[in-house]
Amino acid sequence: MKFWLSLVLMTLTLPALAGTAADDIRISDPRVREMPPTVKTSAGFLTMTNQGRVDHALVGAESPWCGHVELHTHIHDNGVMRMRPVEKMPVPAGGVTRLQPGGLHLMLMQLKRPLHAGERMPITLIFEDGSRKTIEAPVRRFDQMSGMKMPMMHHEMAMPMGGKH
Amino acid sequence: MKRPLLWLLFLAVAALAAGGYWWLKNRPAPGPYPGMGGDFTLESAQGPVSLSDFRGKVVALYFGYTSCPDVCPTSLGALAAALRGLTPEELAQVQPIFVSVDPERDTPQKLAEYARYFHPSLIGLTGPLPKLKEITRRYGAYFRKAPVAGSLGYAVDHSSVIYLIDRRGVLVDMIQHSDSPQVIRARLRKVLGETQSGAS
Repeated sequence: MKFWLSLVLMTLTLPALAGTAADDIRISDPRVREMPPTVKTSAGFLTMTNQGRVDHALVGAESPWCGHVELHTHIHDNGVMRMRPVEKMPVPAGGVTRLQPGGLHLMLMQLKRPLHAGERMPITLIFEDGSRKTIEAPVRRFDQMSGMKMPMMHHEMAMPMGGKH
Repeated sequence: MKRPLLWLLFLAVAALAAGGYWWLKNRPAPGPYPGMGGDFTLESAQGPVSLSDFRGKVVALYFGYTSCPDVCPTSLGALAAALRGLTPEELAQVQPIFVSVDPERDTPQKLAEYARYFHPSLIGLTGPLPKLKEITRRYGAYFRKAPVAGSLGYAVDHSSVIYLIDRRGVLVDMIQHSDSPQVIRARLRKVLGETQSGAS
């Protein structure tokens, strides 16, 4: 019994010692877009900084406030915006990946209730090694979203799912 | 004996002249985008609305859809910020319009509430898909339903441009997605100024 317990404890603590993605990745400037009350989808943005020595990737997210969270990007194709799911958002060792308007974002779907500016939405980020990190993203009105004035593209790190569009 | 032929000739000339006159009177007003733009009628929550209802005003027109989580709110937010920087006199001469190209999910009622959120003077319109296709083609706007993986079902690929239409109903400017509220406001003011005295 004791043996099994220590084994379980070891497997639980081992990844922590090795440095999980959740340990290595620092999250900054999280924010979620307030939307008109009739809309059941929104977008979440944040900056991921990998302080570790191995490459990591965001592979999923979830929140108790909505039914689904998907990882999406925008492909800017000659003036046409194509929103597409991506399998993962890589964060190279020592690198920074920004989720921001016009590019990578967390697509928050089937919102259970309207989001109001000033609230803090809990979002759990899931990384490639299964490690998780829960953050609170402030809800902001469209005129308080940073990066609104320069929605430039930052999609080069993401790989669109499903090949050609 | 030659009379019928002469009459025919006369009628042909008259028809040509009438046709020419009609064409001169009704040809699209010249603008920087000849052959583009033009009138349309779509549904609002309050009933049908035509672009020509706003002759005498400058119209800012945007095509999008409400379940668009990022691109549309960014553009409409920038447009709203631009409008908020206008004087009340200027604002009274501007009509912003949001046209949803996703009538399957966006009803006129839903659009009314959506539009109001961004700016009190923004109105939301939509209509049957073939009509939307025809209108967007005339404005050079692109949209296409794209099936995507995941629970969204489909996304709408679309261009993101604010079209400025002057007081005569002529398309005079296209503002690209990445332009700031300051740029949008300056271009709106330019159109407001250009047609101040020129409107007939």
